[in-house]
Amino acid sequence: MGTAAPSPRIQHLRQTLAEIDPSLGPRLAGEERLLALAAPIDAVLGGGLACGALHELAATAPAHLAAASGFALALAALAGESGGQTLWIATDFATAEGGGPYGSGLDLLGLASTRLLLLRVPRAIDALWAMEEALRCRALACVIVELSGEGEVADLTATRRLSLAAREGTGFGLLLRHHAVALPSAAATRWDVAAALSEPDAFGGLGRPRFDLFLRRNRRGSSGRWIVTWDPHERAFCAALSVAVAETSLHRSDRAPLARTG
Amino acid sequence: MPLADARARYPALPAAEADPQADFRLLETIADWCDRYTPLVGLDPPDGLKLDISGCAHLFGGEAALARDLVDRLGRQGFRTRVAVADTLGCAWAIARYGDVGTLIHGESIERAACVSIVPPGKVETAMRPLPVAALRSDSETVAALAAAGLCSIADLADRPRAPLAARFGEELMRRLDRAFGRIDEPMTPRLPLPAAFAERRFAEPIVHETCVLDTIERLARQLAQVLERRGEGIRLVQLALFRADGVVHRLEFGTGAPLREPVRVRRLFEDRLAALDDACDPGFGFDMVRLAALVTERCDPLQIGLAGGNAANRAEELAHLIDRLGARFGLRRITRLVPQDTHIPEFAVAAVPAHAARSTIDTPSPSSRLRGEAETPEQDSLAPSRPIRLLERPEPIEAVAEVPDGPPVRFRWRRVLHEVAHAEGPERIAMEWWRDAEGRTLTRDYFRVESKLGARVWLYREGLYGRETDRPRWYLHGLFA
Repeated sequence: MGTAAPSPRIQHLRQTLAEIDPSLGPRLAGEERLLALAAPIDAVLGGGLACGALHELAATAPAHLAAASGFALALAALAGESGGQTLWIATDFATAEGGGPYGSGLDLLGLASTRLLLLRVPRAIDALWAMEEALRCRALACVIVELSGEGEVADLTATRRLSLAAREGTGFGLLLRHHAVALPSAAATRWDVAAALSEPDAFGGLGRPRFDLFLRRNRRGSSGRWIVTWDPHERAFCAALSVAVAETSLHRSDRAPLARTG
Repeated sequence: MPLADARARYPALPAAEADPQADFRLLETIADWCDRYTPLVGLDPPDGLKLDISGCAHLFGGEAALARDLVDRLGRQGFRTRVAVADTLGCAWAIARYGDVGTLIHGESIERAACVSIVPPGKVETAMRPLPVAALRSDSETVAALAAAGLCSIADLADRPRAPLAARFGEELMRRLDRAFGRIDEPMTPRLPLPAAFAERRFAEPIVHETCVLDTIERLARQLAQVLERRGEGIRLVQLALFRADGVVHRLEFGTGAPLREPVRVRRLFEDRLAALDDACDPGFGFDMVRLAALVTERCDPLQIGLAGGNAANRAEELAHLIDRLGARFGLRRITRLVPQDTHIPEFAVAAVPAHAARSTIDTPSPSSRLRGEAETPEQDSLAPSRPIRLLERPEPIEAVAEVPDGPPVRFRWRRVLHEVAHAEGPERIAMEWWRDAEGRTLTRDYFRVESKLGARVWLYREGLYGRETDRPRWYLHGLFA
C-alpha cells in the first residue's frame, strides 16, 4: 500500500535515479508541463496550455454551451493521452440544463468514455470542494467543473484556492461557466468559446467541430482570437485560422440577434 | 384485568394504546446500545435481549461487573433491567424471568445483586431445577398440560424418564430442556452482521470535539490495520459506531472502491463524511465509546511501488482513494462512469454506473490505448461525430419548420430562441425496440444532425413516421454536438 511518507533512503535512491534519467526525477516547483494546442495559440500561451493550473471557459451565449463543453472535452482528450483520467463535476442543475456527457459522443470526439469519471453534486460550492480535492490527485489529467449560470461562487478567493490546489497536482482544472462573467478570477487563462460554422464536407454535410476561441485573459501574454477545428481522429486542433478571419466572423450580421435573445 | 375494571379502582389511571412496533423499535435501540459490551447482540422480542459475552467479560472486570454496569447505565436512562448470566442461553432466559421466585434461589450458587443473577459455570442444572416449567420457553398449552399432569417445576421434568415425556408432550419440550441444560447447542442469531475485525476505545470522560473523534478513528484504524495486515486483507466496507453518553448510537458506514488499510486515509474518509453530515451526527454530551469495524474485507496483497514513484499502480490507488472520498462526501451513487449498453436507443445506450462498481483499467500510456480507442468507435459516415457530446435528460419539444414532411427542418425554435438551419444531415432512423412498446413509446424517430447559422450543432428528431404512424409528427431536441 501507501506511499504517504517515503523513507529518507527511498528519497535518496530516487534522487540518484533522477540524476541518471531526468525523466524519472521528482518535479520541481515551478517546473510545469505545457499542453500544446496549435502553433499560433501556443505562441501566445508561451508554449501551450499550462498543466497544474486553472483555466476558465465560458460560453458566449446559451446556444454555445455545447461548444464550450466540447472545447473542454477536447482539451481533456489531449491531456489524457499521457494516461491520466478526466473527472467531470457538474451540479444537478447544470446537468438538467445542458444535459449530461454522453458516452458514445465522447468516444467519437476522441475522449475515451472509459477514462471519464462523472460526479454530480447538489450545490455549486460542493463542486468547488470536489474540484479542489480532485486537482491534487495525480491520477487525473483534467478536472472539469461545470457551473450553471454565471457561477458566482467561483470568485477570486475560490479560484485562487483552486489554482494553488492545481499547482500540487499534475493535471489542470477547467472551470466551465454557462455564461461569460466579469468576476475577477485567479485563473491562468480565460476563454470565451463559441461554436463556429463548420466547413461542410464534399456532400454538404456537417464538418468537423469548429470553435471560435477568444482568449480574453492570459497571465503570461497577450490575448487573441482564433477559429480552430478539432480533429477527433488525430486528437489535435488543426489549422487555426488567422485572427483576421476571426475578425470578420466577429462582425457577422447574425451574431447580434442571438446575443439579444440569449 | 379489563381497562374498565382498572379505571373503576383507580380513576386517575393513565392509559395508553399499546404500540408493539414502537416497543420493538425501542428494543432495537437498546440492542444497538448494548453493542458496547459485545458485537453479538440478539433480539428476544417483546422485551428481551440476548448478549453473547464469551470472551468480553474480562474487559469490564468480570461478568458481575459487566452486568452491574449494564443495569446501572440502563437504570440511568430510565429502564429497569433484569440481567442473568449463565452458561446457556436457555438458563439465562429462565433465571432472568423466573429467577426471583423467592425461595427457589439457592443463596450459595447464585450471586444476586440488585437485579443481577449470575449462575456460576457448571451450576446450570442446580439453578434451573426449582424454576417453574414455563421457564423452558414452551408455549402456554404445553405448560397447562404439564400442570394438569402435576409437573410444575423443571426438577419434576428432569427427574422423570425422557421417553414417556417426549411421547406425551412432544420432542420440542425435551429439546428445550436439553438446550437449557447445555446438552445440545443453541445457535444465536446476532442482530447485526459480525464484523471481520474491529477496534474500539472507551473514554472515562465523553469526547466532544471532532478532532478528538478523528484522532480516535485514526488510532483505531491503526489497530485495525495491524490485524488486517497479518491476515493480508483490506477494508471494503467500514463502519464507525459512535456511542453517545446518553445512549444514542450513531453509525456511519461506507464502502471503498479498493481494499483499504491505511489509517490516514480512513481518517480522511470520515473527515469528509463528518463534514458533510453537519448536525445529523450531533455529539450532544459527548461520545463515551468509539468503535471502528471492518464489516467486509477483501484480500489485499502488498504492491511493489515504483522506486521513481508515480507509476500506474500508485495512480490507480490514488484514484481509488479519491473516488472513495468523493463517495464518502456525496454518496457513492453520485460518482459514476459511463458504461455502454447493448441497445441502440440513444437514451439507454449509455448507463452511468457507480464508479466503485465499474472498475476501470488505468492504462499505462502506450500507443495501444490509442489504437483501441479508435477500434471502439463506430464507423463514421461524415466528418462530424454522429453522436452528441451532451444528451439532454429528456428530449425537449421544439417548434420546427420543414420544407417537406420527411425532410430536415429549415428553422426551429428551442428555448424561445429561433435558429436558422445552415446544414443538416439525416435522417438517421431509429425505431424503438418492440419490447418497449408497452410503455407507449412506439413511434419511430428520424434523427437529424443540424448546424445553425451561428454554428451551434444540435441533434433533433421527428417523432413518428409521417402518414404511417402519425399525421402530426412532433419535433424534439435531444442532444448537443461540440
